[in-house]
Amino acid sequence: MPDDRVHQPGGRDPLAPGTGGGKDGIPDGDPRDLHRRLDEVEGLLRESGARLVQAEKMAELGNLLAGIAHEINTPLASISSNTDTTALALQKLKGLIASEFPDEASLSRQRFEDAVSIAGESLRMSRLACDRILKLVAGLRGFARHDDLRMQKANVHEGIESTLALVAHELKGRIQVVKQYGDLPEIECLPDQLNQVFMNILVNAAQAIEGPGEIRIRTWQEGDTIRISIADSGTGIPADLARKIFDSGFTTKKPGQGTGLGLAISSRIVQAHGGRIELGSGAGRGATFTIVLPIRTTEERKTNEH
Amino acid sequence: MNTDTPRPTLLILDDEEMVLTSLRNLFRLQTEYEVIVHSSAQQALESARTRPVDLVISDYLMPEMDGITFLGHLKEIQPQTIRVLLTGYADKENAIRAINQVGLYQYIEKPWDNSTLLIVVKNGLEKRQLLRTLEEKIAELAKVNTDLKSLQTALIKAFL
Repeated sequence: MPDDRVHQPGGRDPLAPGTGGGKDGIPDGDPRDLHRRLDEVEGLLRESGARLVQAEKMAELGNLLAGIAHEINTPLASISSNTDTTALALQKLKGLIASEFPDEASLSRQRFEDAVSIAGESLRMSRLACDRILKLVAGLRGFARHDDLRMQKANVHEGIESTLALVAHELKGRIQVVKQYGDLPEIECLPDQLNQVFMNILVNAAQAIEGPGEIRIRTWQEGDTIRISIADSGTGIPADLARKIFDSGFTTKKPGQGTGLGLAISSRIVQAHGGRIELGSGAGRGATFTIVLPIRTTEERKTNEH
Repeated sequence: MNTDTPRPTLLILDDEEMVLTSLRNLFRLQTEYEVIVHSSAQQALESARTRPVDLVISDYLMPEMDGITFLGHLKEIQPQTIRVLLTGYADKENAIRAINQVGLYQYIEKPWDNSTLLIVVKNGLEKRQLLRTLEEKIAELAKVNTDLKSLQTALIKAFL
């Protein structure tokens, strides 16, 4: 959420503690204490700034994806329909060839049939290719919903599926996704933001796995919460790092691969939903992130957010 | 096809030529319907003024007017025509709202499935045919009723 305090020109930083009030607006007190506070404030600012940038980028990406999905849809509809129509036309042609050349062994008939069979084979491939694009476009549309900042009832399985379609290229061939979806009620949430959380955890999971591996996604209901656990067969997270991974700026990835913000942002988003992310891991046995979300967000929680 | 029932006529409107071609070819291959295609809503309405259409398929998002407005105008010209809307994913909610507004028979989402589309059109045309038969029967009944009435009058007169 935008933080107006940051932009107050000239005035004293209201984030600074109310103690002191010396000349020039500089609070007096123990310099070490001030330094510590300054560091804290700086950290907060950096994190909220990063969150803003990230939120903006996601919104932009969402719009872009929705636009692309929309633009692709009509030509894709045409190609998909043409593929089926051509296959049907080919069937008719086959019948015509058979009645036109009754002698099955005749060279002319075989030549015609060869050509028809090549065309049929190509069309079958086109059908498969089309189906894949259709699925991808459906995923893009699911990912890029516009009405983002209103709480709405949504099925998290749809969000997970849309996100999986988007990260498919990271998993491709290398990582098998095993899904164990339980019976979940719809929950009150911001679906776009939850998709962002799934995306962050899934991409992390994929990057933690060297070579072939497995990601297990399990969902279930527990009391008035739903739980989504994402477990990878990767390198795991050593106990001494486990405390830091939700801090902004913390990363073990190579420059360019990660910003160190993904999990910090994810954790903020889930907290804003009144939930939490739990980590279960140990070096060498992969990591399991469990997202705990309440089925209903209370009014109180919503007003606190704004 | 029966000789005394003419071939059913479809009108298809979409601003994208590629969609028109896809649909026209599908119907040419799989049906005996007469297919008229238009890429402009105005021209489609012009042609509907002089030529009766059994079923119309219209795109939703078009530059001149949206599909629901078009179907509304067409309904004024030819109230009996069966109306089908072809919509993109994002327009689905509008389409659902329009079901009552313009008496939509069905909406079909892009990308459509050929066989589903063929069934929707076939059923729509059947409904059109049934309604036509019903109208004819009602007209016949009305005529017989008038005949009976005049006969009755004649009878009463004869006895008086």
